[in-house]
Amino acid sequence: MSLLLEFLKIAIYPGVLFIIVFSLFLEWLDRKIYAHSQHRIGPLYIGPHGILQPFADILKLISKEDITPPHVDKSFFMLAPPVLLYLAILGMFMIPLGALGEPYALLSFEGDYLVVLTITTLITAFVFAGSWASFNRFSALGSIRALLLMVGYEVPLFLCAAAVALDAKTLCLSRIALIQSTSPWFIVMQPIGFIISLIALQAELERIPFDIPEAETEIVAGWLTEFSGKKLAMIRLAHDIELFLLASLIVTLYLGGPWGPMGPSALWFILKVIFVIFLSSILRALFARYRIEQAITFFWKYIIPLSLLQVFIALLIPLV
Amino acid sequence: MSVIKELIKCLISRPVTIKYPYERKEPYPRFRGKISINYDACIGCGLCARVCPALAITLITPPRKKSIRDRRPLVQIYKCVFCGQCALVCPRKAITFSKEYELSSFSKDGMLVAPPFFKNKKHKLRQS
Amino acid sequence: MPEIEIPVGPQHPALKEPIRFVFRIDGEIVVGAEPRLGYAHRGIEKLGEHRSYVQVLYLSERICGICSVAHTTCYVETAERLFNIEIPPRAKFIRVIVSELNRIHSHLLWLGILAHEIGFDTLFMYTWRDRELVLDLLEMITGNRVLYAINMIGGVRHDITNEMVDKIRKVMDYLEERTKYYKRVVQEDPLMLARLSEVGILSRSDAQKLCAVGPTIRGSGVKTDIRKEDPYAAYDEIPFNIITYTEGDALAKTLVRVDEIQESINIIRYALDHMPSGNINIRVPLRPSPGEAIGRVEAPRGELFYYIRSDGSERPYRFKVRTPTLANIPALCKMLEGVYVADIPVVVASIDPCIACMDRVLLIDTNKGTWNILTGEELRRYSKKWYEKHKIR
Repeated sequence: MSLLLEFLKIAIYPGVLFIIVFSLFLEWLDRKIYAHSQHRIGPLYIGPHGILQPFADILKLISKEDITPPHVDKSFFMLAPPVLLYLAILGMFMIPLGALGEPYALLSFEGDYLVVLTITTLITAFVFAGSWASFNRFSALGSIRALLLMVGYEVPLFLCAAAVALDAKTLCLSRIALIQSTSPWFIVMQPIGFIISLIALQAELERIPFDIPEAETEIVAGWLTEFSGKKLAMIRLAHDIELFLLASLIVTLYLGGPWGPMGPSALWFILKVIFVIFLSSILRALFARYRIEQAITFFWKYIIPLSLLQVFIALLIPLV
Repeated sequence: MSVIKELIKCLISRPVTIKYPYERKEPYPRFRGKISINYDACIGCGLCARVCPALAITLITPPRKKSIRDRRPLVQIYKCVFCGQCALVCPRKAITFSKEYELSSFSKDGMLVAPPFFKNKKHKLRQS
Repeated sequence: MPEIEIPVGPQHPALKEPIRFVFRIDGEIVVGAEPRLGYAHRGIEKLGEHRSYVQVLYLSERICGICSVAHTTCYVETAERLFNIEIPPRAKFIRVIVSELNRIHSHLLWLGILAHEIGFDTLFMYTWRDRELVLDLLEMITGNRVLYAINMIGGVRHDITNEMVDKIRKVMDYLEERTKYYKRVVQEDPLMLARLSEVGILSRSDAQKLCAVGPTIRGSGVKTDIRKEDPYAAYDEIPFNIITYTEGDALAKTLVRVDEIQESINIIRYALDHMPSGNINIRVPLRPSPGEAIGRVEAPRGELFYYIRSDGSERPYRFKVRTPTLANIPALCKMLEGVYVADIPVVVASIDPCIACMDRVLLIDTNKGTWNILTGEELRRYSKKWYEKHKIR
């Protein structure tokens, strides 16, 4: 009986089905906010207010022909899309979503924080592997740019993560969220870290202003040029789930996870994630695209000193 | 950062998009849509066919009539470029432009503005 | 890292029209650029020789959709010189108003395209939303949003009534505020400055040597404008400034165009205040006397040049168009040396390319010092023979 319950937890809620459905909802929300800030409508016709549009996009991509050009390196080309999807879902399993009792996430152990951060790095590594294996000069340029961008955002993201872990004195995400139910949220104690994490979220997901690896007007489609059909559907789904993953990571670290005034609840968690996505979409609508060397300069000149400052503040002002 | 005020204004106001085809905007009075010919006023002078830059107007004679004055213009809408020169030169102002702009059709016969006596395949249309 | 060759075009998301570039890049820097034109060649000049003067007017309008009224204005200027007629003054003012509205719409469109090239889609949507007002005005005056057919040999076709004048003034007031806002955005937004300044620099001497035209050369500090040097329509009666900036980079060209929107608004207001009354067109004969005539206008992209030669019949004997983008292509190749790959769309967009305008072929054999003009038909035959000879499929 409990085995069946575990299976349902993994498959339905808070497992795979919930993750996929909610991340498609988040993509719709992002597109709607982006569109309304430009005085236009966004998705409208598929489903009420266009809410089924991302699902329709994935369905359409699955039904298209999947062309593998003959000269690609089949090992990584075929491997990269499903591995990206798998990694993104695996990362989501470790985030406390708030609907269960102890433990608050499907997989929760001391050190799962590090595993989630490693997963984000691995995702970029597989993006590079898949696009390098595409053997196309546009994909080559895109993959190099993706790696270069990682040089930029990885260090500040990890430093801010370290600042939170130093203050919370634990490496378990569920415990970090639990601590914030009794003491003020980390956004109040470490506001610089919150802002830097938001910027690093934009860079990790290759959204404007760090759209560089996927810059449509410069190198066709960047690193996803050669993927089509089911592989492209998997990559897009993995991208959406990664958005959910990083947003919920920020919610867990800085906004108190699913804890609200009356104990842990899934609804609070969802509202906080929607707030983070709202901020991210506004950032996306507000800026133009950086060039790659300007982005790296921006990160190393301004963001990394700020995150070092954040680490020092975290060391000097311990949490009561 | 400089667009932030504009962005917030746009977020809270209604989008400017017109949800075509469920909402349509009415064209202005001088709009040149599909051509429409008043075949009673037409005198068959042929000036419209002479000036059409797209060679879209052919003059066809009705059966059993021989006079030049009985010729009437037939317009192939798929060639028309909506320039309005034919309306300008017509001495009897028989050519006007309606406000129709959704002109697709499933057959070529739907794309002709023809005089009442026109029967298909009996008249040779102007090629270009 | 060794040099690799990146082909850009003829189909590419950065280009609105087909043109092929082959860039040789070293890492992220472009070391060489080779353009190749001809993808939008339509045989217009040959077609013009088989149509009457009235029909060639509409043909010339359809050379380009964005600067269409500049083409018709140039054509009727040239034809009126050939026919030796003088049009009524009210027609000249109406031509000025429609030309300046066209210039505003073209520059707003271009600003949106530039913003899209640097990834600033929000500005793209805002400028195109404001451009809709200009298109509505043009539809109200002329009857169509894109290909206006307002000019005819001998004057203009439609008149501007008093309600239209009121509406035009209201839209001009709104657009003036918006232009000031866009100028502030371009000058103050840090990301736009980072992407546009010091990119694609064209020095003043290079611009003059390579004969760039329009805002491309005005952004390098040279004060030249056909509306002042060779006035046509009513431009000799309307005071306005020529906008120049001296830096020569993409930011300078952007600011030139934004300020030109403001100047156009002022010109339209002056023209509306001082519009003479009278009729708007006169009758013209069917055939001109034999001779030749040229006409030049300031299209939104630069100097547009027409040449018509007549042999006394009702069809032109030769009809030649030289559009501004063609004159800017050598300057473009010079600007593209030494830029980053990420800046290629910005540099190409900063000359406001209108490839549809530009494809007419004149083959110059520099070795032999001879030249011959090939029409579209002859070019096709020549290329077929060449490919058969070299066995390339």
